[in-house]
Amino acid sequence: MTDMGAPLSTVSEPSVSLGNQSLVVRLVRGAALWALPLLLLTALTLTWLYRNTTYRSFDDPLVSAVTSLIASAEVADGMLGLSRKPIDPRYQRALSGRYWLIGFLQDDGVIEAITSSRSLYEETLTLPKSDVARLQNQQGEEIRSNAEGPDSNENLRLVARQVVLPNMKAPVVVVAAADNRSARQSVISFALIAFGLMLLISIGLVTAVVTQVRSGLKPLFDLREKVADVREGRAGQVDGKYPREIQPLANELNSLITHNKDVVERARTHVGNLAHALKTPLAVLQNEAQSTDSTLSEIVGRQTETMKNQVDHHLRRARAAARGQAIGVSSPVNETLEALARTLERIYRDKDIDFDVDLEPDLIFRGEKRDLEEMAGNLMDNACKWTKSAIRVSAQRLADDGQFIIIVSDDGPGMAADQYKEAIKRGARLDEATPGSGFGLAIVDDLARAYKGRLTLGKSDMGGLKSVLELPRRL
Amino acid sequence: MRILVVEDDSDLSRQLKDALTDVGYAVDIAADGEEGHHLGDTEPYDAVILDLGLPIIDGVSVLQKWRSDGKKFPVLILTARDQWSEKVAGFDAGADDYLTKPFHTEELMARLRALLRRAAGHTTDTIDIGELSVDNRSARAFVNGMAIKLTSHEFRLLSYMATHRGRVISRTELVEHIYDQDFDRDSNTIEVFVGRLRRKIGTDRIETVRGLGYRLADPDEAKAK
Repeated sequence: MTDMGAPLSTVSEPSVSLGNQSLVVRLVRGAALWALPLLLLTALTLTWLYRNTTYRSFDDPLVSAVTSLIASAEVADGMLGLSRKPIDPRYQRALSGRYWLIGFLQDDGVIEAITSSRSLYEETLTLPKSDVARLQNQQGEEIRSNAEGPDSNENLRLVARQVVLPNMKAPVVVVAAADNRSARQSVISFALIAFGLMLLISIGLVTAVVTQVRSGLKPLFDLREKVADVREGRAGQVDGKYPREIQPLANELNSLITHNKDVVERARTHVGNLAHALKTPLAVLQNEAQSTDSTLSEIVGRQTETMKNQVDHHLRRARAAARGQAIGVSSPVNETLEALARTLERIYRDKDIDFDVDLEPDLIFRGEKRDLEEMAGNLMDNACKWTKSAIRVSAQRLADDGQFIIIVSDDGPGMAADQYKEAIKRGARLDEATPGSGFGLAIVDDLARAYKGRLTLGKSDMGGLKSVLELPRRL
Repeated sequence: MRILVVEDDSDLSRQLKDALTDVGYAVDIAADGEEGHHLGDTEPYDAVILDLGLPIIDGVSVLQKWRSDGKKFPVLILTARDQWSEKVAGFDAGADDYLTKPFHTEELMARLRALLRRAAGHTTDTIDIGELSVDNRSARAFVNGMAIKLTSHEFRLLSYMATHRGRVISRTELVEHIYDQDFDRDSNTIEVFVGRLRRKIGTDRIETVRGLGYRLADPDEAKAK
């Protein structure tokens, strides 16, 4: 019986793999994976649109300044003059951030000024080299660009156009420029607000998803608790109503539990049938051998005795193997103990034993009834065998989670303290003269261990043996 | 004493019949639950030996039916099933004793005697009536300590009357309790057996109560009255 495990509480943890990641994490990650890039893209698009709008409205006055400069340009005697100068006062104040300029474009981008706004203060403007070719290739078309201003802190936005004026051989470049730092600042503020808002929305979204997933998965968590109840024998079936998607799972679990019970029950029945099938022929052989007196009958008698022991041994093993296999079983303790007391009273009717049965109400054994019967029955049977006149059976609750204790005492001869261990040891037989297999206490101890309990022997205050069965054992 | 054995293994039931007949019982055999139930229901047995795993109707159901019909004969369950739940079910159905296979014939006989003894209210296997002593254990009778040679039918008659000593027993009752069902029952044979028995144990020990039957009594006790 060494292969007898205690499968009641061993639940193997699944090995670490992608499959064991939390469902909540998976679903939230899935939602974040599409929501966050989308929000980021939205913020980027909005900022880009705002920037374009801002810059366009910034450029418009520059374009009209260039147009009016070209319109008022007059060439007389090879000298360029303006019939009407732009009136914005900022063109008059030195380094105001508003400039205009007419001159010849050199290949390095520097413009050789013919005339310019006073604000430029004798400085000239330099176009980025990449714009030089663009300007030269697109005669008469305006281009927009950025450049450094005369004040190095400035960021100039400029509109330029190359035109050929009547009576002038070389083309001239007309440029209007303005410092765009304020526009840029406004775009940056907009971007900050846009991204901040999207971040807030993301946080809100993730929180909402987590809550939704949790409430969506709640029936699953409930189901898990129910299954644990079944495994620990607090419930026989997975009961309760579940959403349509989970109900089939609960139903399948229930059929699995029922199937498991059936399989265990069938295995037991087979064992019982085998016992019946073998023991009757053995009884016939044994009786036949006894009725005559010859060498043959002596041999048959001896061999049937051996066969009987073998059958008993293997029956015990088979029963032990089927033990604790069914899940979700529990049995009432008191009903079982009372039935055993009733039965033993009749078996030992000639001894006229006084049974004192004292049971705390509603005790439940989280295991199979026949195992409880085997344990309590053997203890009580042992007490009945040895007692002179009375035995006492009591059962008490130890804890709310199903721990209890069964105490069987008798007023027989009892045992010496050094015999307790020997009595529990498998197969020990303290008194060969006592009827019974002699396995009684050892079987009880084996079974108790299978249910994480234990059997201890001691001296009863009635004078005989006191057997204490803890199920399961106190830690 | 008439015993019913309900057992589906024919070898075992034959052995039981032989062993029981040897010690002075009349034995009927039933091979399935239905036949067993019917016999127990219709014949006045003194005790029943009942297997549990029976064809047609299982032993526990048979026993429950008998008890609910008010049958009071002692029942000994003889089965290979040795689990506590089966013992509990057997006793709760109304069994008086429970023996598991394989078993020793002596133990079965001792338990059966104990059941019959208890049913009749005796405490020992030997019944003493004055100088007459009937030993149900060895199926022998003694007068003044001297063994008397009796046929098995004569012993059955004596044993039944001794068990119910002092009571008037009708011929019909005697027929029902000392012959098994296959025996050609003729109540006139009872008179023949009583006559033979009287010659062996002393005429005045068996009293004829006209029109009612016979009574086994201690003649000295009767004279003292």
